[in-house]
Amino acid sequence: MTTKRIVNHPVLGKLEENKKITFTFDGQSYDGYENDTIASALLAHGIRTLRKHEESGNPRGIYCNIGHCYECRVTVDEVSNVRACLTPIKENMVIESGKVQPSPLDPKNEGDLPRTYDEFIRSEEQKKNANK
Amino acid sequence: MQHLIICRCEEVSLKDLEETAKKFNCTARELKLRTRAGMGFCGGRTCRPAVDKVLTDLTKENPTDAIPLKVSPPVRPISLSDLGGKASDD
Repeated sequence: MTTKRIVNHPVLGKLEENKKITFTFDGQSYDGYENDTIASALLAHGIRTLRKHEESGNPRGIYCNIGHCYECRVTVDEVSNVRACLTPIKENMVIESGKVQPSPLDPKNEGDLPRTYDEFIRSEEQKKNANK
Repeated sequence: MQHLIICRCEEVSLKDLEETAKKFNCTARELKLRTRAGMGFCGGRTCRPAVDKVLTDLTKENPTDAIPLKVSPPVRPISLSDLGGKASDD
Protein backbone atom coordinates (compact mmCIF):
# COMPACT_ATOMS: atom_id res chain seq x y z
CA MET A 1 0.00 0.00 0.00
CA THR A 2 1.41 3.36 -0.95
CA THR A 3 0.53 5.90 1.68
CA LYS A 4 0.81 9.67 1.88
CA ARG A 5 0.85 9.40 5.65
CA ILE A 6 3.87 10.89 7.42
CA VAL A 7 5.37 7.82 9.08
CA ASN A 8 8.63 9.40 10.13
CA HIS A 9 8.32 12.94 11.43
CA PRO A 10 11.49 14.97 12.15
CA VAL A 11 10.08 16.24 15.46
CA LEU A 12 7.34 13.81 16.46
CA GLY A 13 9.33 10.70 15.59
CA LYS A 14 8.10 7.42 14.19
CA LEU A 15 4.38 6.75 13.81
CA GLU A 16 3.04 4.06 16.10
CA GLU A 17 1.46 1.12 14.30
CA ASN A 18 -2.21 1.16 15.23
CA LYS A 19 -4.95 -1.36 14.59
CA LYS A 20 -5.96 -1.42 10.91
CA ILE A 21 -9.56 -0.69 9.99
CA THR A 22 -11.20 -1.35 6.62
CA PHE A 23 -13.98 0.82 5.19
CA THR A 24 -15.47 1.59 1.80
CA PHE A 25 -15.66 4.97 0.10
CA ASP A 26 -17.83 5.20 -3.01
CA GLY A 27 -17.80 1.42 -3.40
CA GLN A 28 -14.04 1.03 -3.12
CA SER A 29 -12.34 -0.53 -0.12
CA TYR A 30 -9.66 1.37 1.82
CA ASP A 31 -7.88 0.88 5.08
CA GLY A 32 -6.89 3.28 7.81
CA TYR A 33 -5.73 3.17 11.39
CA GLU A 34 -7.86 3.18 14.50
CA ASN A 35 -8.74 6.76 15.61
CA ASP A 36 -8.29 8.08 12.06
CA THR A 37 -11.05 10.40 10.96
CA ILE A 38 -12.72 9.66 7.62
CA ALA A 39 -10.98 12.70 6.14
CA SER A 40 -7.51 11.79 7.42
CA ALA A 41 -7.81 8.13 6.38
CA LEU A 42 -8.81 9.17 2.85
CA LEU A 43 -6.13 11.87 2.71
CA ALA A 44 -3.54 9.18 3.49
CA HIS A 45 -4.69 7.50 0.25
CA GLY A 46 -4.44 10.76 -1.68
CA ILE A 47 -8.21 11.33 -1.84
CA ARG A 48 -8.97 15.01 -1.31
CA THR A 49 -12.36 15.32 -3.02
CA LEU A 50 -14.96 14.31 -0.45
CA ARG A 51 -17.98 15.65 -2.30
CA LYS A 52 -19.14 17.70 -5.26
CA HIS A 53 -21.00 20.98 -4.84
CA GLU A 54 -24.71 20.14 -5.13
CA GLU A 55 -25.38 22.63 -7.90
CA SER A 56 -22.15 23.39 -9.76
CA GLY A 57 -20.34 20.08 -9.23
CA ASN A 58 -17.10 21.75 -8.16
CA PRO A 59 -15.00 19.45 -5.95
CA ARG A 60 -14.94 20.02 -2.17
CA GLY A 61 -12.82 18.55 0.59
CA ILE A 62 -11.33 19.51 3.93
CA TYR A 63 -11.63 23.24 4.56
CA CYS A 64 -11.68 24.09 8.29
CA ASN A 65 -11.06 20.52 9.55
CA ILE A 66 -12.58 21.36 12.96
CA GLY A 67 -16.23 20.62 12.23
CA HIS A 68 -17.18 24.23 11.65
CA CYS A 69 -17.77 24.69 7.94
CA TYR A 70 -19.50 21.44 6.86
CA GLU A 71 -17.53 21.46 3.59
CA CYS A 72 -16.44 17.83 4.12
CA ARG A 73 -19.90 16.37 4.72
CA VAL A 74 -20.40 12.82 3.46
CA THR A 75 -23.01 10.07 3.81
CA VAL A 76 -22.01 7.43 6.38
CA ASP A 77 -24.03 4.20 6.62
CA GLU A 78 -26.96 6.01 4.93
CA VAL A 79 -26.88 8.91 7.39
CA SER A 80 -26.36 12.04 5.34
CA ASN A 81 -24.43 15.22 6.20
CA VAL A 82 -21.85 13.61 8.48
CA ARG A 83 -18.66 15.63 8.88
CA ALA A 84 -15.71 13.58 7.61
CA CYS A 85 -13.23 15.68 9.59
CA LEU A 86 -14.78 14.75 12.98
CA THR A 87 -16.05 11.21 12.48
CA PRO A 88 -13.64 8.39 13.38
CA ILE A 89 -13.61 5.42 11.00
CA LYS A 90 -15.16 2.18 12.13
CA GLU A 91 -14.84 -1.34 10.75
CA ASN A 92 -16.91 -1.88 7.56
CA MET A 93 -18.17 1.70 7.48
CA VAL A 94 -19.86 2.52 4.18
CA ILE A 95 -19.11 6.07 3.10
CA GLU A 96 -20.57 7.82 0.06
CA SER A 97 -19.34 11.14 -1.29
CA GLY A 98 -21.76 14.01 -1.96
CA LYS A 99 -23.07 14.15 -5.54
CA VAL A 100 -24.45 16.86 -7.79
CA GLN A 101 -28.20 17.21 -7.24
CA PRO A 102 -30.67 17.53 -10.10
CA SER A 103 -31.67 21.15 -10.56
CA PRO A 104 -35.42 21.47 -11.13
CA LEU A 105 -35.20 25.23 -11.63
CA ASP A 106 -32.79 24.94 -14.56
CA PRO A 107 -34.88 25.27 -17.76
CA LYS A 108 -32.42 22.93 -19.51
CA ASN A 109 -33.62 20.08 -17.28
CA GLU A 110 -37.29 20.56 -17.98
CA GLY A 111 -37.26 18.45 -21.13
CA ASP A 112 -40.49 18.19 -23.12
CA LEU A 113 -42.81 17.91 -20.15
CA PRO A 114 -45.99 19.97 -20.45
CA ARG A 115 -45.98 23.00 -18.20
CA THR A 116 -49.74 23.54 -17.96
CA TYR A 117 -52.76 21.25 -18.09
CA ASP A 118 -53.75 22.93 -21.35
CA GLU A 119 -50.40 22.01 -22.89
CA PHE A 120 -50.84 18.45 -21.61
CA ILE A 121 -54.27 18.11 -23.30
CA ARG A 122 -52.89 19.49 -26.55
CA SER A 123 -49.91 17.13 -26.47
CA GLU A 124 -52.23 14.19 -25.82
CA GLU A 125 -54.41 15.22 -28.81
CA GLN A 126 -51.34 15.52 -30.99
CA LYS A 127 -50.28 12.02 -29.97
CA LYS A 128 -53.77 10.68 -30.79
CA ASN A 129 -53.74 12.36 -34.20
CA ALA A 130 -50.26 11.03 -34.93
CA ASN A 131 -51.42 7.49 -34.16
CA LYS A 132 -54.38 7.69 -36.55
CA MET B 1 -9.81 39.36 -7.04
CA GLN B 2 -13.19 39.50 -8.79
CA HIS B 3 -13.47 35.71 -8.76
CA LEU B 4 -12.76 35.57 -5.04
CA ILE B 5 -15.31 33.27 -3.42
CA ILE B 6 -17.01 34.99 -0.49
CA CYS B 7 -19.50 32.26 0.44
CA ARG B 8 -18.35 28.72 -0.26
CA CYS B 9 -21.60 26.92 0.59
CA GLU B 10 -23.60 28.80 -2.04
CA GLU B 11 -20.62 29.60 -4.29
CA VAL B 12 -21.07 33.37 -4.30
CA SER B 13 -18.11 35.36 -5.62
CA LEU B 14 -17.25 38.99 -4.98
CA LYS B 15 -18.18 39.64 -8.62
CA ASP B 16 -21.68 38.17 -8.08
CA LEU B 17 -22.21 40.44 -5.09
CA GLU B 18 -20.92 43.54 -6.86
CA GLU B 19 -23.02 42.92 -9.97
CA THR B 20 -26.17 42.24 -7.98
CA ALA B 21 -25.63 45.33 -5.83
CA LYS B 22 -25.20 47.47 -8.95
CA LYS B 23 -28.13 45.94 -10.85
CA PHE B 24 -30.76 46.09 -8.10
CA ASN B 25 -29.34 48.95 -6.01
CA CYS B 26 -30.34 47.03 -2.92
CA THR B 27 -29.78 47.02 0.82
CA ALA B 28 -27.35 44.63 2.50
CA ARG B 29 -30.18 42.37 3.59
CA GLU B 30 -31.77 42.29 0.15
CA LEU B 31 -28.38 41.58 -1.43
CA LYS B 32 -27.95 38.67 0.93
CA LEU B 33 -31.37 37.26 0.06
CA ARG B 34 -30.79 37.69 -3.71
CA THR B 35 -27.37 36.06 -3.85
CA ARG B 36 -27.84 33.68 -0.89
CA ALA B 37 -24.39 34.66 0.38
CA GLY B 38 -24.09 33.46 3.97
CA MET B 39 -27.30 31.45 3.79
CA GLY B 40 -25.81 28.06 2.95
CA PHE B 41 -25.33 24.84 4.84
CA CYS B 42 -22.88 26.20 7.41
CA GLY B 43 -25.32 28.97 8.33
CA GLY B 44 -22.79 31.70 7.55
CA ARG B 45 -20.46 30.70 10.37
CA THR B 46 -17.51 30.56 7.99
CA CYS B 47 -18.14 33.63 5.85
CA ARG B 48 -20.35 35.96 7.89
CA PRO B 49 -17.64 38.55 8.77
CA ALA B 50 -16.56 38.66 5.10
CA VAL B 51 -20.16 38.86 3.83
CA ASP B 52 -21.03 41.60 6.36
CA LYS B 53 -17.98 43.65 5.37
CA VAL B 54 -18.54 43.29 1.63
CA LEU B 55 -22.26 44.05 1.93
CA THR B 56 -21.79 47.18 4.03
CA ASP B 57 -18.94 48.36 1.76
CA LEU B 58 -20.98 47.81 -1.40
CA THR B 59 -24.24 49.28 -0.19
CA LYS B 60 -22.63 52.09 1.89
CA GLU B 61 -25.18 51.22 4.50
CA ASN B 62 -24.61 51.41 8.21
CA PRO B 63 -25.48 47.91 9.45
CA THR B 64 -27.40 49.32 12.41
CA ASP B 65 -29.67 51.49 10.21
CA ALA B 66 -31.79 48.78 8.61
CA ILE B 67 -32.79 45.27 9.61
CA PRO B 68 -29.49 43.69 10.68
CA LEU B 69 -28.08 40.62 8.95
CA LYS B 70 -29.15 38.61 11.90
CA VAL B 71 -27.76 35.37 13.22
CA SER B 72 -30.46 32.86 14.06
CA PRO B 73 -30.47 29.56 15.86
CA PRO B 74 -29.93 26.61 15.50
CA VAL B 75 -26.16 27.09 15.52
CA ARG B 76 -25.63 23.72 13.83
CA PRO B 77 -27.64 22.09 11.05
CA ILE B 78 -29.90 19.62 12.83
CA SER B 79 -31.93 16.84 11.29
CA LEU B 80 -35.61 16.17 11.93
CA SER B 81 -34.76 12.71 13.28
CA ASP B 82 -32.50 14.34 15.88
CA LEU B 83 -35.34 16.64 16.92
CA GLY B 84 -37.64 13.62 17.07
CA GLY B 85 -35.42 11.93 19.65
CA LYS B 86 -33.66 9.48 17.34
CA ALA B 87 -30.26 11.10 17.78
CA SER B 88 -27.20 8.88 17.62
CA ASP B 89 -24.88 8.67 20.62
CA ASP B 90 -22.32 11.18 19.29
